[in-house]
Amino acid sequence: MLLVEKVDKVYPNGAEALENVSLRVNAGEIVAVVGGSGCGKSTLLRLIAGLDRPTHGRIRLDTETIEAPHPAVGLVFQEPRLLPWLTVAQNIGFGLSDRANQERDDLVCEVLQRVGLVDCASNWPRELSGGQAQRVAIARALAPRPKVLLLDEPFSALDAFTRASLQEHVLDLWNAFRPTLLLVTHDVEEAAFLADRVLVMRPRPGRFVAEIDLGLARPRERYGPEVEATKRRILGALDRSLRLHPKGEELAPAAAI
Amino acid sequence: MVTMTAIETSHLAEEKSAVTTRSEAPSRRVSGRFLLGFVLPVLLALIWEAAVRFGFAQGRLMPPPSRIFATLYDLAITGELFRHIAVTTARVAAGFVVGVLAATLIGALAGASRLARDLVDPTLQGLRAVPSIAWVPLFILWFGIFEQSKIILIAVGCFFPVYLGMLGAILSVDRKVVEVGRIFRLSTFGLVFRILLPAILPTYVVSLRAGLGLGWMFVVAAEFMGASEGLGYLLVDGQQLGKPDQILAAILTFAVLGKLTDGLLAAASAPFLTWQDTFAPRN
Repeated sequence: MLLVEKVDKVYPNGAEALENVSLRVNAGEIVAVVGGSGCGKSTLLRLIAGLDRPTHGRIRLDTETIEAPHPAVGLVFQEPRLLPWLTVAQNIGFGLSDRANQERDDLVCEVLQRVGLVDCASNWPRELSGGQAQRVAIARALAPRPKVLLLDEPFSALDAFTRASLQEHVLDLWNAFRPTLLLVTHDVEEAAFLADRVLVMRPRPGRFVAEIDLGLARPRERYGPEVEATKRRILGALDRSLRLHPKGEELAPAAAI
Repeated sequence: MVTMTAIETSHLAEEKSAVTTRSEAPSRRVSGRFLLGFVLPVLLALIWEAAVRFGFAQGRLMPPPSRIFATLYDLAITGELFRHIAVTTARVAAGFVVGVLAATLIGALAGASRLARDLVDPTLQGLRAVPSIAWVPLFILWFGIFEQSKIILIAVGCFFPVYLGMLGAILSVDRKVVEVGRIFRLSTFGLVFRILLPAILPTYVVSLRAGLGLGWMFVVAAEFMGASEGLGYLLVDGQQLGKPDQILAAILTFAVLGKLTDGLLAAASAPFLTWQDTFAPRN
């Protein structure tokens, strides 16, 4: 179980990125955090990943407090961030350097198959398309079998078709490995299609203003009535959060569409 | 004749490579392109040779290629040429190694630590502004006119481009890539060897090549300050005894050696840089 307890994050320049954020994600659950740009979503993920430290409060994974990058927490960045001097297979094995060679090869091979990139194993990152590169990035994060996988707007730079297929991929991978998934996104459809639970975030300072339990079974039909209705629920929550907090902030959650 | 063959060969190679598989293509293309590089010098040599042969030019101060090659041949069969080449190359090698080692260490230190950078960089940038030849009188006073002062001068010449390259490369490593290393909990050692070194390698190689070029430049200055052997000595000797063919023979040898060593350095680093996603067309 992943616990975020009363976390504040104030940057050295005085900007309040997060205020009193608490969150509880059960093992194997998929939670989506939605909100406009600059609302602190990425900051939250960086804290959970251990790349930054919270100013107040703490983050716990089961019994441990997370203060630095943790082997059981994987992170997929907004961009693939593959190492250009390593082949696809070497990139995927990058986080497995502490394993024996045989074990590493097996793990890499398995995720390569899961993401359908066996043929590209010895390619350079420059030879991949954007979607393929992001699949490699997901495979790299999953190869060490983390308990928690954090996804920071992982598909925002991709076209709609690629995005849809990668969402299916993530669900496949989740089915295979059952990690806890915490997904940050500004795409309401993505949240409605993937998540068990959606949290709505507002900026300045970043905080949760609504929580929606989707209660939808999987597999879901992307353009089916249930997902459509859920999208409207999320959009409604975003809208209400604006009317509740009309502090001269942007009027439409533009990035939420 | 020679030029025609070169062009025909490269043309043929291109046609062939067009039908071969992708993996085979680059090497064939390279050999064709490689020959293209000879077209200009060979053409110029032929024109000059003809000009002297047919009496359009005298060729006393600018001897025709045939005389230069004859001089080279004479120097070669007595073994003198190779002695000079060996001496000069050894000086460049020694100076290059010393300069590069110092530059790499200090550059890495200045890149890694803010304190070291603030401490060392202003002084080095100041010293860099001094034309390195200006050190010659001082080095002779300090280290004498023998090997030591020569090697130190060459090392100083090689130092600055490599230092600048190293420092600049480290400072420009992408934070995002470093974060990937942090996420996977690399140690400082791992971060250096698995992220920083590969990331700076392309820039570093370029600075090594610049350093080596300066090494060849400074060896001449070093050998001007009193040497009894070496290619620089051939230059001075040729001037004092009025032998322009010997001067040109030495210059030609410098050109070949410089190009050769640069090519070796580039070829030695190429296998480590195949991953690069660069502007230069690969085919």
